[in-house]
Amino acid sequence: MSKRVVIDPLTRIEGHLKFETTFSKDGVVKDAKCSADMYRGIEKALIGYDAKVAQQVTQRVCGVCPYAQAEASALALENAMGLKLNKNGYLLRNLVVGAYRLQDYILHFYILSALDFIDITAITKYKGNDSALVGLKKWVEKELKSGKIFPATPFLPRYETAYTNNTNLNITAVKHYLDAIPMMAEIHKMVAIFGGKSPHPVAIEAGGITTRPTVDALVKYETLLKRTKRFIKDFYVPDVKAVAKDYKEYFNMGKGTGDFLNFDFMPDENGENFLFVGGSTIDGKFEALKDTQIVESQKYSYYKDDKKDYAPLEQNSIRPLNWYEFEKEHKKDNGKYSWSKAPRYRDKVVEVGPVAQVINTYKSGHNPAFNKLIDETNAELGINLNDYNSVMGRHLCRALISLVVVERLENDLNKVVPGELGFIERDVPRNATGFGFTEASRGALAHWIETDENGLIKNYEMIVPTTWNISPKDSIDRAGAVEQMLIGTKVADENNPIELARIVRSTDPCIACSVH
Amino acid sequence: MTRREILKNMYKVVVAVGASSFLSFDDLLAMDRGEITKPNLVWLHGTSCSGCSTSFLNIEGVSVVDILTEYTNVIFHPDISLATGHQVTDLLERANEYKDSIFILEGSIPIAMPHACMMGDKPMTYWVEKLAKNASVCIAAGTCASFGGITDMDGMITGPKTLADFISYKGINKPVINLPNCPMKPEQLLYVLFYYLKTKSLPELDKEKRPIRFFSKTIHERCTRHDYFTRKKFAKKIGDEGCLYYLGCQGIVTKNDCPINGHNDNTNICIKAGHPCIGCADKYFPRKIMLHTYDDKRPNERFKIIS
Repeated sequence: MSKRVVIDPLTRIEGHLKFETTFSKDGVVKDAKCSADMYRGIEKALIGYDAKVAQQVTQRVCGVCPYAQAEASALALENAMGLKLNKNGYLLRNLVVGAYRLQDYILHFYILSALDFIDITAITKYKGNDSALVGLKKWVEKELKSGKIFPATPFLPRYETAYTNNTNLNITAVKHYLDAIPMMAEIHKMVAIFGGKSPHPVAIEAGGITTRPTVDALVKYETLLKRTKRFIKDFYVPDVKAVAKDYKEYFNMGKGTGDFLNFDFMPDENGENFLFVGGSTIDGKFEALKDTQIVESQKYSYYKDDKKDYAPLEQNSIRPLNWYEFEKEHKKDNGKYSWSKAPRYRDKVVEVGPVAQVINTYKSGHNPAFNKLIDETNAELGINLNDYNSVMGRHLCRALISLVVVERLENDLNKVVPGELGFIERDVPRNATGFGFTEASRGALAHWIETDENGLIKNYEMIVPTTWNISPKDSIDRAGAVEQMLIGTKVADENNPIELARIVRSTDPCIACSVH
Repeated sequence: MTRREILKNMYKVVVAVGASSFLSFDDLLAMDRGEITKPNLVWLHGTSCSGCSTSFLNIEGVSVVDILTEYTNVIFHPDISLATGHQVTDLLERANEYKDSIFILEGSIPIAMPHACMMGDKPMTYWVEKLAKNASVCIAAGTCASFGGITDMDGMITGPKTLADFISYKGINKPVINLPNCPMKPEQLLYVLFYYLKTKSLPELDKEKRPIRFFSKTIHERCTRHDYFTRKKFAKKIGDEGCLYYLGCQGIVTKNDCPINGHNDNTNICIKAGHPCIGCADKYFPRKIMLHTYDDKRPNERFKIIS
């Protein structure tokens, strides 16, 4: 009899995620089901709203990567308008989205993931005199002796497992965990300088960025960028590498399908020559993007229209199951189990995210400096490009992307012409259709918009990174990308299935995005 | 740094959020010595986007986790807690064993479709009811939990309720405070937490249950472009000097402290970023139109500003 293990909720991700696995006798995952447990219905609710509202509303599907939703929405509308930005428009948009990307990666590594690898209780062994650490040490000791029902929350309870016993790494990483939070606040300030505020920057509108770049603002951005660069180079990248060295086996765990999809990210001031090049790697072969070949299956999703797969904008309404139907599906053996749909690219289950971005850009050969960075890292860690398709590969890719993005931001900042508005104003397009593709922190992101004769939204569609990754099975019962990562994993202790949590968290799921 | 220096740093946050009039440095020292009992804190996500949680981490200069663990007892936060799976539900099931508890909800609660927000195989309605019943005070973090926000825009079928509406619908009699803004401003939440820490009560609220301290005036009344408005100088396009009223600005009906306290440690506000206020702290957010051209003549009820 196989054993069933349910993890519900998975914390330290965005939103409500449950996953269910069945084990063989020797503790290996045979089957996995990922359930996105939240539904709002934002895409179709937008129908009847002004086309420019889409940017403000769709970025609110996600409070962790709103910048990318805003950008995709603005790109879709610009595509419908047939509008190209001016130089400052492209540069300033890079400064907003690039900075946000850095904040998001640091958040993901330190706050959401690090304490799955780092032993926070090792702080009790701390012998130095950094008063922040001494304070934390005293606090942990006091909590453990307090006799509370749950001492040391929110750091305990946790999955008890063999965390690293490298005291030095444990203490450094805990210190950087605490330092990362004010650093993230600083990076959010960079976003706010040109975006207006962060989270939810208003200024990324179709036409560019509404903020006029004053010299003051540029200097302030530069100061913060220097600090950010130092944090990334001195703390973030070394910490990820140190964890990678201590957990080498994780370069072999959580392998996905091996097929990758990403979209273009960060153009130059002419809107061309992207820093990261979009495309797909299918069966090991890199190809440029074919955007028409995306469909979504709803067979295992809690929606009624599930007889066929739908192309973007093919549906103009969405019909979710009611409570009674929802309960009925749960009682079936092979019933629907997620609010997420199952998108497929060229009929393949693809993984999106940092690894797709790194592998596809590397294979495109478009950016030699980037390829050199990857080669050097591989030599340092004794890995090769195939090892990136793993838990540790995903963490490492985020760190490496950060290094490249931070340098690009320095470069773009110097090109901004002070005082010149990076915005071209246009009325909303009537009876028009447009699409916007970009790369969010979590991977390939696409928006489609259709407007009516008054410039109001007639139809809207979003296919979001986590929808690709966390997708349930599709119409021919192929498991989603994360489900495939889980299958075949050996779990040492079913009561503390840390291996599974590490795999799912490595993809940085965002459920609010995936279901929207 | 010595412990005292760390506390001094933390006190800067108390000053920055405007809580120094009732919370002295001596109070902070007393808390550090354990002479004041810490309130317990549980944070949940309804139909939310985690934007308010992310925003809460943006407190200037000090790690907010330090502040939280020093001055409250954080039982659960979905993005910070190490607890996973059944550890979370076990912990929340026993939450009623904690007295003097603050319950913070981010996002709204779908009641027409309870299955639209589930945790531990139970609808969010179950968890919110359980935690609100046990709480001393309930805090609605952000516009969705306060007014419905984008989760309650036209065309939504999940039937979202705000925290205040939900608990009164369930007949639970607990004080509720609304901190609308999309996302919630971290300084406002810390102010409320510090206020509660010291007085065991909520600051003075308006009829929408918002703290008067932050929500007594519209953005327009204190706008940096208000002078243009009085001189009838209006921007005709993005990038112009002048009042942004004719480009769709909703500062005229939206109450909040943005012009004084700004966002991200007063780094910027939307209007200074050249963008009309989109009214994200307002009851009617999101409106059918937020940004339009000066000469937009579309005859449509949707474009009227509702006050």
